[in-house]
Amino acid sequence: MSGMMKNIKVLGSGCSKCKALEQRLLALKTEHGLDFDLVKITDLNEIISFGIMMTPGLVINGEVKSVGTVPKDSQLLLWIKE
Amino acid sequence: MKFALLAVMFLVFYFSPIDAPIVIQSIAAGLTLLHEYAQLHVLTCLVPAFFIAGTIAVYVKKDAVMKLLGPTTKKYIAYPIASVSGGILAVCSCTILPLFTGIYKRGAGIGPAVAFLFTGPAINITAILLTSSVLGWDFAVGRLIASIIISVIAGLFMAVLFREHDRKNANGTFAAGLGGDVPYSSTTILLFFLLQLAILVVFGLSIDPMLKAVLIIAMIAALLGIVFFKFQKEHNLEWLRETWDLTKKILPYLFVGVFVAGIIEVVVPQEVVTGLVGQNTFLSNAIASTFGAFMYFATLTEVPIIQKLMGLGMGRGPALTLFLTGNALSLPSMIVLFNVMGKKQASAYILTIMVLSVIAGWLFGELI
Repeated sequence: MSGMMKNIKVLGSGCSKCKALEQRLLALKTEHGLDFDLVKITDLNEIISFGIMMTPGLVINGEVKSVGTVPKDSQLLLWIKE
Repeated sequence: MKFALLAVMFLVFYFSPIDAPIVIQSIAAGLTLLHEYAQLHVLTCLVPAFFIAGTIAVYVKKDAVMKLLGPTTKKYIAYPIASVSGGILAVCSCTILPLFTGIYKRGAGIGPAVAFLFTGPAINITAILLTSSVLGWDFAVGRLIASIIISVIAGLFMAVLFREHDRKNANGTFAAGLGGDVPYSSTTILLFFLLQLAILVVFGLSIDPMLKAVLIIAMIAALLGIVFFKFQKEHNLEWLRETWDLTKKILPYLFVGVFVAGIIEVVVPQEVVTGLVGQNTFLSNAIASTFGAFMYFATLTEVPIIQKLMGLGMGRGPALTLFLTGNALSLPSMIVLFNVMGKKQASAYILTIMVLSVIAGWLFGELI
């Protein structure tokens, strides 16, 4: 781990998958005792500024990781821990 | 806020003339129409349609389509793609606005974005299937074709009108999607999709009930075969989740809409409907167009409401006009548009759609 606290953003204007992704992240956080900052971004203009069009978007430390899907838990863990 | 709402409800219930004939008739009419929908349309049309929409959400590769809406795509490809891709990309209306904003700001530009925005809600598969189940194939096809044609014309018109917009945004890029592909052959997915469509079609045929039952059981068995032996558990679960999400999102509002449509039949005098929108004149179509533009119809609720308005004497032309503006425009969606596009472009878009819908409705009423 880099030692710095990870900054995670969930981009989405309220679709059901966006909520699911947020919940998965929060569940993983408690299950595995992870340390990260979770921000939800709902403003359309801001979402688009990340260069994505399908929600939910997952952004970790400024890098777009996934678009339009809820990734698997194992994949999420990998990204958070890398 | 909540208190005010409760207080209003209390006062309504307290003072409403609950045994007045009109109240009882309205409630009875609402329930009758709900009964009709539950018997005729829910199992045989809506349930298969939701499963089909779920299939599209999980198995159709969206990346390829999205690439065709990027900033470098030739215009003669971008327009047709934008006008039909709503059926694939936007299974649910909440995905339309982010996609629209993306195409508008970073993708193929204002024209294709507008084309997509207009057809997105209108050509979704559940809406077309329910329209044909309730009002017949001519209406479903009319709605589909009119939407596609209008969207391209409106898109081209907006692109000419606001040429500077695209010049400013020409150097943007976007990531179409980094989601993983599904590991099945296109043939399997196509078969899976067609089987579901076939089940829906066979439900609607008027053939010997025994034969129908045998056919449907055979097709469901084939479908389950694919589900259990071909597909992985993870994708099946996603398919069910997408289907369930859509059902949850749409069905409650549809039931409310059906109930309201039943009430309309009782409380709206027939003379008003025939007087305003009974004939296929320019004025009737304009009235239908304006009403549809401001009125908010939750997904699919336009179908029972237009069905009942037609029962009260609404002409076929104005009915199609109402279909066209009813889905595409509403007061809430106008507010978002003003926010994203700005006053000038949003007003131009709204007016263009209203005028083109009047023309399309009038033609439909005259020709078909």
